[in-house]
Amino acid sequence: MIMAILRYGVFIFLIVSLSLLTYQVLHTASFGRRRLHSEAAGRPREGIIYALGRGMMPWEKESAARHLPTYIAGVIYHAGIFASIFWVLCLAASAHPPRPVLPAIQFLMGAGFLSGAGLFLKRVIRPGMRYISCPDDYVSNLLVDAFIFSGLLSSWLAAVKPIFFIMTMTTFLYIPLGKIRHCFFFFYSRLLFGSYFGRRGVLPRQRPAQTKG
Amino acid sequence: MRTAAIPPSPLDERIQALSEKDIATILRVFREKLDAEAAANLNSCVHCGLCADSCHYYLTTSEPEAMPAAKLDLVNQVFKNYFSLIGKKLPQLVGARALSRDMIREWVDSLFGRCTLCGRCSISCTMGINIFSLIRAARSALAAVGLVPPGLQSTVETAIRTGNNMGISKENWLETVAWLEEELRNEVGDPQARLPVDRKGSKILYAINPREAMFFPLSISAVGKIFYAAGEDWTFSSTNFDVTNYGLYNGDDQAAAIMSDRLFQAAHELGCRELILAECGHGFNSNRWEAPEWLSRETGLRVRSILQLVAEYIRKGRIRLDPSKNPKPVTLHDPCNLVRLGGVVEEQREIIRHSVLHFVEMHPNREKNYCCGGGGGQLAMTNFAQRRIEAGKIKADQIKRTGAQVVATPCHNCIDQLMELKKHYQLPIEIKTVCEIAADALVLEGKGR
Repeated sequence: MIMAILRYGVFIFLIVSLSLLTYQVLHTASFGRRRLHSEAAGRPREGIIYALGRGMMPWEKESAARHLPTYIAGVIYHAGIFASIFWVLCLAASAHPPRPVLPAIQFLMGAGFLSGAGLFLKRVIRPGMRYISCPDDYVSNLLVDAFIFSGLLSSWLAAVKPIFFIMTMTTFLYIPLGKIRHCFFFFYSRLLFGSYFGRRGVLPRQRPAQTKG
Repeated sequence: MRTAAIPPSPLDERIQALSEKDIATILRVFREKLDAEAAANLNSCVHCGLCADSCHYYLTTSEPEAMPAAKLDLVNQVFKNYFSLIGKKLPQLVGARALSRDMIREWVDSLFGRCTLCGRCSISCTMGINIFSLIRAARSALAAVGLVPPGLQSTVETAIRTGNNMGISKENWLETVAWLEEELRNEVGDPQARLPVDRKGSKILYAINPREAMFFPLSISAVGKIFYAAGEDWTFSSTNFDVTNYGLYNGDDQAAAIMSDRLFQAAHELGCRELILAECGHGFNSNRWEAPEWLSRETGLRVRSILQLVAEYIRKGRIRLDPSKNPKPVTLHDPCNLVRLGGVVEEQREIIRHSVLHFVEMHPNREKNYCCGGGGGQLAMTNFAQRRIEAGKIKADQIKRTGAQVVATPCHNCIDQLMELKKHYQLPIEIKTVCEIAADALVLEGKGR
C-alpha cells in the first residue's frame, strides 16, 4: 500500500514540478517583450543552432576548455541525473529496463554521484566558489547527490526503494524553488544567447568570405 | 553570506543622502529595464563560477568581487528580493538581498568600477547569460538618481549640452576640417581634394570620434585620403559629427537616444542615405545596434562602420593598396563593442592583410579577444583608473606575445587605453587605427586628377 502511494507520488510530484517550471518560464513574459528595431546582420536561427550544439563544446567555449575536469564532471553529473530519473520512472511504473541497460544506468548513477560530490567539494573548498555561493547552491547539490545515490543503492537493495521514492519527490518539489530550475531555463537562456549573437552576425563565427554589412 | 569591503567612492555622500523615494526610484527604473529575456537570464545562473577567468579584472586581481558571477549576483540578489516569489518567501535560501545603501555602494563599486561591459563573460557563460546587459540595466537604475561616477556623467552631459563629448565648438570643428583639407590637398597633390562639410545630397554622412579632431587628426586625414582615393560621395556635418555615445555606458537610455538621434537627423537633413561610423567600438554598437531600440523605431538609414566600407572598396577595386609601404609587423586588437557585440569581425583583417607585409593575430582573438580595459566608460571614471591599468595587463601580455611593432585597433577608446598600457607596461609599440594603416598603403597614382 505504502509503495503504491509512493509510486503514484513520484508521478504526481513530477507533474507538479513540471507545471511549476512551465509556469515560471511563462511568467517571465510578464516582464514584457521588446520588439527589435535594428536591422539584423546575421541569422538568429543559425545562432540558436550553434548555441544549443557546437557552441557548448570545449573547443568552442573557452570556459569549458579551461576547466575541462569541471566540464566533464558536469556532463557526467547530468548524465547520472537523467539515468536516475529514468530509473525512478521505471520503478514507479513497475517497468523493468532491459537487462543490459541496468548496468549502464548503475554506472551512470555511480559516476554521476561521484561527479556531483566532486563539484560539491569544489564549491566548499575554493574561496571564490564559496564567495559566489548561497545556501541554495549547497542544498541543490546535496539533494541531487542524495537522489542519485539512493537511486544507485535501490538498484541493488530493494529495501532502499521507498527512500529513493521519497528522495525523488523531495527533489522534484525542490526543483522549482532553487537553482535546479535551470533544467528549463538553461534552454531558454541558450536560445536567447544564440538569437542575440546570431542576429548580430557574431556567432557562429563567419568565414571571411561570408562577412556581412 | 559574504560581506564586501568597498573602498570610499566620490558618490558615498550622495548614497548616504538617498531618500526612500530615491531607492524606490532605483527599483522602479531597474524593473522597467528588465524584460522577459532579462528575467529568464536572471533565473538561469547556477553559480558554476566558470565565467571567472573570462574577465580581465578577475584574471589580474583574483578578487572574488571581480568574478562575473559575483557582479551578476549583485543584480540578481536585488531581482530575487523584489521581483521573484521565491526570493520574497525564502530570501536567505536563494541569497536575496534588499537594496540597502550598502548594496547600492556595492553596485556602484562593482557594476561601474569592475566592469567594462565587454561581454566576454557572456560568451563564456555556461548558460549563455547576457551578463553585460543586466549590469547595464542596473547602471540605468543608478543613473536615474544621479549615481553615475562623475567623470562618466560629465562626458554625457557635455555631449548633450554641446553636441559632442569634447565640447568642440562649430567654429573650431570647421577650422580643423579646413586645416586638414589643406593638408590633404598638399599630400595628394590635388587642389580639388576636399573634406566636404554639410554637402547636401551626399551619399554618405561620416561621423568621427571628437578625440580625433582634438588629439588624433591623422585619423581624420587617413579616412579623407581613402574617400578621395575611392572617389566617394560623402560629407561631414558641421554640427552633429560625434560618433560616440556614452549613454551606452552610464545607462541613461534617454540621453543615449538624444545623442544618436542627432546623427540620424543630420543624415536625413543632408539627404544622406548612409551613416558611416568612424573607428569607434562603442559608437558602432550604440548607433548600429542599440539606438533603434533606444528610439523604439527604425532609423531609415544604412548604418555601417568605416571598416565595412573600406573592405568593400578593396573588394570592388575602388582603392589599391601596397603592403610594402607598411613593412613592420602589425597585430590587431579587436574592440569588444565592434567585434564581440557588433559583428564586425573580418573586415578589419581584410584591410590589414591588404595593407601590411606581416600581420600577426593576437590570441585569443575575434569574439574571444580580451577587453583592453578602456571600455564601459572606464577611461572617463578616473576614480577607477588604477583598476583599469591593472586589468589591462592581460592585453599588454597579449600584445607582447605577438612580437608586433604596430598595434592596430579600430577604436579611439581602445587607443587611449593602449597608450596608457604602453607607458605603464613599457610596450615597444606604435598604436594606429586600421584606416591610418590603410591610408599609408594607398596607391594614389591616377586618382582624382
